[in-house]
Formats: sequence, C-alpha cells, structure tokens
Amino acid sequence: MLDLRELQTHFFTPAGVVKAVDGVSLTVNRGEIVGLVGESGSGKSITGFSIIGLVDPPGRNVGGQILFNGEDLLGAPERRLRQLRGNRIAMIFQDPMMTLNPVLSIRTHMVETVLAHEKVGRAEALRRSVEALEMVGIPDAARRIESYPHEFSGGMRQRVAIAIALLHRPDLIIADEPTTALDVTIQAQILAQVQKLCRELGMGLIWISHDLGVVAGLADRVAVMYAGKIVEQGPVDEVLDHPRHPYTQGLVNSAPLANERGKPLRQIRGAAPPPLQRPQGCAFRTRCDHATDRCLQEPPESEGVHRWRCFHPRNMEGRA
Amino acid sequence: MSEVFAEAVGVSRRFTTEPDLAERIAVKLGARDTRRVVHALDGVNLAIRRGEVVGLVGESGCGKSTLGRIIAGMLPPSEGTVRFRGKDRARLRGQEARQARLDTQIIFQDPMSSLNPRKRVVDIIGEAPVAHGLIPRKDKAALVAGLLEKVGLDPSMRDRFPHQFSGGQRQRIGIARALAVNPEFLVCDESIAALDISIQAQVINLFMQLRQDLDLTYLFISHDLSVVHHIADRVVIMYLGRVVESGPTEAIFAAPNHPYTAALLEEVPRIDRRHRSFQPVKGEIPSPINPPSGCHFHPRCPFAMDRCRVERPALIAVGGGQESACHLNDLAERPRFTQTDNREKTA
Ligand SMILES: Nc1ncnc2c1ncn2[C@@H]1O[C@H](COP(=O)(O)OP(=O)(O)OP(=O)(O)O)[C@@H](O)[C@H]1O
Ligand SMILES: Nc1ncnc2c1ncn2[C@@H]1O[C@H](COP(=O)(O)OP(=O)(O)O)[C@@H](O)[C@H]1O
Ligand code: SF4
Ligand code: SF4
Ligand SMILES: [Mg+2]
Ligand SMILES: [Mg+2]
Repeated sequence: MLDLRELQTHFFTPAGVVKAVDGVSLTVNRGEIVGLVGESGSGKSITGFSIIGLVDPPGRNVGGQILFNGEDLLGAPERRLRQLRGNRIAMIFQDPMMTLNPVLSIRTHMVETVLAHEKVGRAEALRRSVEALEMVGIPDAARRIESYPHEFSGGMRQRVAIAIALLHRPDLIIADEPTTALDVTIQAQILAQVQKLCRELGMGLIWISHDLGVVAGLADRVAVMYAGKIVEQGPVDEVLDHPRHPYTQGLVNSAPLANERGKPLRQIRGAAPPPLQRPQGCAFRTRCDHATDRCLQEPPESEGVHRWRCFHPRNMEGRA
Repeated sequence: MSEVFAEAVGVSRRFTTEPDLAERIAVKLGARDTRRVVHALDGVNLAIRRGEVVGLVGESGCGKSTLGRIIAGMLPPSEGTVRFRGKDRARLRGQEARQARLDTQIIFQDPMSSLNPRKRVVDIIGEAPVAHGLIPRKDKAALVAGLLEKVGLDPSMRDRFPHQFSGGQRQRIGIARALAVNPEFLVCDESIAALDISIQAQVINLFMQLRQDLDLTYLFISHDLSVVHHIADRVVIMYLGRVVESGPTEAIFAAPNHPYTAALLEEVPRIDRRHRSFQPVKGEIPSPINPPSGCHFHPRCPFAMDRCRVERPALIAVGGGQESACHLNDLAERPRFTQTDNREKTA
C-alpha cells in the first residue's frame, strides 16, 4: 500500500544542509503495523511529515518516491494531496493539541472534519463522529462529544485525536509518539484500541516511537533509524532477537531487562552526532566497536525481508 | 541492616489551586469561589536506609515529586514529620540545617531548565562549594575538572555554556553540580526520562558507579519500572497520594501483592514481550482534587468489594518484607493475579 523508495528530505538552513531524511526505503501493507524507532533527531517525524506532505520550508523533498497505492505522491498536485490527507492518510501527533483547537467543541472538530471531505448531512456526520469516539473507547460518547478539549485528560484528548484520524477510515495512519507523554496504564489502553482497529479495519499503521519496548509489543515489523537512514528493518522477532546492525544490537543489549540486575548495562558509547557534523560513510562509525576503513564508505542496504546497512553485520553472539 | 537515613512519617501535603483569570472574574461577579484543594500526599510513610537505593514509582500526578521535595527539605509537609539522620528536619537550625541541605541534592528531569544558560560550566559546578566555604576559590578549577572527569566529561569543556552540550552531557553537568557539595543523599526525579535511549544506559551506569565510589543513598523517582527494577534495592509504589505497596525489588516484581502494582507490571513495555494482546486496566486516573472514597483504586480494580468503596486499606506487612494496602489481604483466600505472558512465539 505504501512504498517509500530512497526518500530524501533536506532542510536548507543558513548553517548548512540538514539531511533529516536521507534515503529511506520502507513499505507498509494493509493491516500491518510498522514500528519506526530511533533517537531524537534521527528523522522519524520528518519521514512521517514527508509522507503526508507537511514539510515546511526550509525543508524540501530532494529525491525518491512515495508510492501510495501505486500513485507517486511527490509528483501529485496540491489538490490531490489535500484530498488524500485526512481522508486516505491521517497523522496523529505526540501532542493532541496539534490536532485540537481549544476554543472548539469536540463535536465541531469532528462534524466539520467529516463535512470537509464528504457530501453527507450534519446528522450523518454527527452519527459517524459519535461512532468514531466509541471506537476509541470514550464512554458516553453521544454526550461527551459536546465537551471542549480542556475538559478531557491527556489520555482522553489523545483518544479524540485518534478518533478524528479514524473518521474517514483511512488506509494509513502515521502515529508520531502519541503515547509518549501518557502513563503506562493509559498508554496500554490506547495501544489496545489501536491494535484492534488495525486488525478489524485493515488499516496500515506507522507507529513512531523511541521506545523499543512499545514497538516490540505492538508492531509486526520494525525499522530502526539512525542519522536520517533506516539502518535495519525486518519482522519484529527477527530484528530484536537477531539484530545484525551494531546500533540495533547496542540498543537491544542496553535494555535493563537484557542485563543482570544491578550490573552495569552494556551501553553504546558516545552520542548521536549533530546533523551538520555527521561522519562521512557510515554515520554510526564514531560510536561503533567494529568500524574498519571500509566504513568510510556508505554501507549499502542488504537484500531480503530482514535487511541492514552495515559492512560488518553481527550474528547473535555479537560476532561478525 | 543499616540505620534509617531519611524518613517521612505520616506526611500529608495539600496544595490550593489558584483560580485562573476567568475564574477570578466569575468570582468577582458573584460566582462561588472555585479554589480547590489538591491532596498531593495523604499520610505517607517512607524510610530510606543509609546506602540504599529506593525506587519510587507511580503514574503522573500521584505525588512522587512532591514526596521527593519534602524528603529533601525543599518543601514543608502540611502534616507529619521528615526525619534526617534521626532528627526532625523542621527543627534543625544554623550549621546543622545548612549541612542537611548540602547533604541532600536533587537531580531533575530536564537538564536544560535546571542549568543557568548564561553561566559557564565551571561556575555552574564550582560556585556552590566556594560559596559554602567547602573549598577556597583558587581550588575551584581543579575541583570542577575532577568532577567533570568523574561524570564522564572532558575537563577541557569547563569554559563552555550549557547550550553547547547535548542532553546527556547536560544531565552529567547537573550531576556534577550536585556532587560538588559532597552530598550523601541524591533524590533523582525522573533524571533519565528526557534522555535518548542510547544515553539512558550511560547515565544509569554513572549513577550505579557513583553509588559505589561515594557511598551514596538514593531516592530514585521514575515511571520506568524496568529501570527501577535494575537499580533499586527497594520499590515504593504510589497511587493518588498514597503508598499502596513497598518491599524488596525482587519480591515485588516476582509477586506483587497490590492489584495496582500487578496492573503496572503487566503493562510495562519490554522488548521481550512481542505481539501482545493488550488487556489494560480500565478507566482514567482520577483527579487528586476529588479522589475516590475508600481505596482510591477501587473504580479501576478488578477485585473491588463493597468494603473497598468505604474503607481506606491500611499499609500492612504481608510477609517477605513487603507491605501492601489492600483489603484482599483480609480474605481467607485471596484471588490470584493472572500473569499473562504474551510471548506467542509459535513459529
Ligand atoms: N504547587 C502546586 N500547586 C498546586 N498543585 C500542585 C502543586 N504541586 C503539585 N501539585 C499537585 O499535586 C499532585 C502531585 O504532584 P507531583 O508533582 O508530586 O506528581 P508526580 O507524581 O511527581 O507526577 P509526574 O509523574 O507527572 O511528575 C498533582 O495533582 C499536582 O498537580
Ligand atoms: N524546520 C527545520 N529546520 C532545520 N532542521 C530541521 C527542521 N525540522 C527538523 N530538522 C532536523 O531534521 C532532523 C530530523 O528531525 P525529526 O524527524 O524531527 O527527528 P525525530 O522525529 O527522529 O526526533 C533533526 O536533525 C532536526 O534537527
Ligand atoms: S558499517 Fe562499519 S561503522 Fe557502520 S555499523 Fe557497520 S561496522 Fe559499524
Ligand atoms: S482494597 Fe479493594 S479496591 Fe483497593 S486494591 Fe484492594 S481489592 Fe482493589
Ligand atoms: Mg519526533
Ligand atoms: Mg514529578
């Protein structure tokens, strides 16, 4: 359904060109949940914004393709993009107030969203809105739709944002860390709903997160981003049980539960380089224990369902 | 066992919320005063022994930071007593009070907002020990260089400003600043929450190393149960201003007594739990302005009984060093928690 090919989105800042997304290839099938993980600044959000066509200047797409049901969105006219956005493709943000206007009731938000994209009457629009709220687990939805955003807790607002994203039964939802600010029990409630909806409605989902644990529980496939590139991707069990890229392996090994209680965690040394000071060749080179002269070149992506970008991939024991 | 180092006894803390502008206008026009009382802490007991790491967990707004600040002496309790090395903190005066303040340092979540952006690192770290007469001014540069090294930063960075560092490095600066006054007790309030995944492990390791090298005692506040499991000797779980369970880390993780603890453990995201079918606890976290009667957890508890709606359960010993506040412990036979292990790894 979604097929990103060598997507490149760069920001042309006075200080230099920030290659936020630099050659990302990723597919999402109907009903599939893909987890996109990586540290802050690795390009996760900009990948999402690129798909939905919301990259603002000085950012701009400079290469690649975004095939959505076979149609290249990068060449598509603005009118067509507007049509797809919010209709076939929807995005959920970390802060639900990005979607919600504090002075409008939930009812206004939802009914207007339906009417903007479809020729239906108000009564039908309202019926669908209430149904969407029920779907994300808002109790007493017919009454609570009259509320304003501030009358809801953070978790409820996030549910409303998800309900709005669901209004047109999109084919694809891009969720950018929507539960990061929420508590564990509330996060679990939302994960449960989202999972159920994908299964029942056959929606594809890109779940952006910096938490490998959340992605492990939710996703079918996982893609690990580092410095603007996907350095490893594949089925969740494959990638987390047999990571091949040293960065993925470092992340998996540094999780507290993968270490003996009370003992030092196996840590990745150093920190991600600032975007304008990325090392040439493999960007992970300066933190990698296995780097050689070869790594001064850009490692190509390997082939197969489980693939990686590394000249010296590891096996399970961490050896080459 | 070592002696109790810091202790909260029957501590309660209430805050009065200030009305916002619209509410103030409404009151002027004759509406009822909407000022409300938040019960941030409600009769909390907590003892931390010398050299111990106590993990304090619970969901947003349950009172973790408030308790941390009260134990650190930064905030007075509305009721109850805080003891520091056996003495009532509120009664300390002069040199003793000053020493207690220096001995306890808090490390916050957001390293940026707790560092003065206009000061150089050398002053951020070195100012307090000079001001308190712990070292002569001429030794400041050397002290700072040593501290930077201790927290894993290059001493040559001492003339830089906070914005010239990454998040992880700024957190290290915050830790070095806290260590500069030779504290014995660190209160870490979500100190790793804002850091990147690959940096969290580094800072956790640093805390564990410092504990060994400097014999520190920690109150480690975190919502991340897997981190608390890793570093804490004892865990204290709070819900809406009350302690609901406490005990040795391994005992609690192996066999939680309180239904809320069980629910939390069930929901921790872990990389070894794949393809989960989530079965979360129902319901919202209630507001501390108007908490539910009896056991605060009763509207969300799958085991709630009539008694739970009216009677507050006391925190009682339930064996193995564990304490729990739940009426189920009075039943002849208590229900078992179903631990769902979701590893459906059938190939
Ligand atoms: N100065 C204050 N005025 C009014 N209410 C306050 C004040 N400080 C804290 N509270 C309230 O007291 C309760 C406990 O707050 P506290 O900051 O201790 O929570 P916490 O457990 O640390 O939460 P988090 O995980 O979000 O940091 C909350 O309901 C909070 O809104
Ligand atoms: N408006 C912008 N101008 C310049 N650089 C930007 C802008 N937005 C994002 N970037 C840069 O793009 C990179 C990727 O950002 P982002 O996708 O938001 O990261 P993530 O979501 O993985 O944390 C970062 O280096 C970020 O600083
Ligand atoms: S390509 Fe080289 S530097 Fe990059 S991850 Fe692989 S071994 Fe390390
Ligand atoms: S006291 Fe009652 S409501 Fe509270 S946790 Fe125990 S069983 Fe549940
Ligand atoms: Mg982001
Ligand atoms: Mg707090």
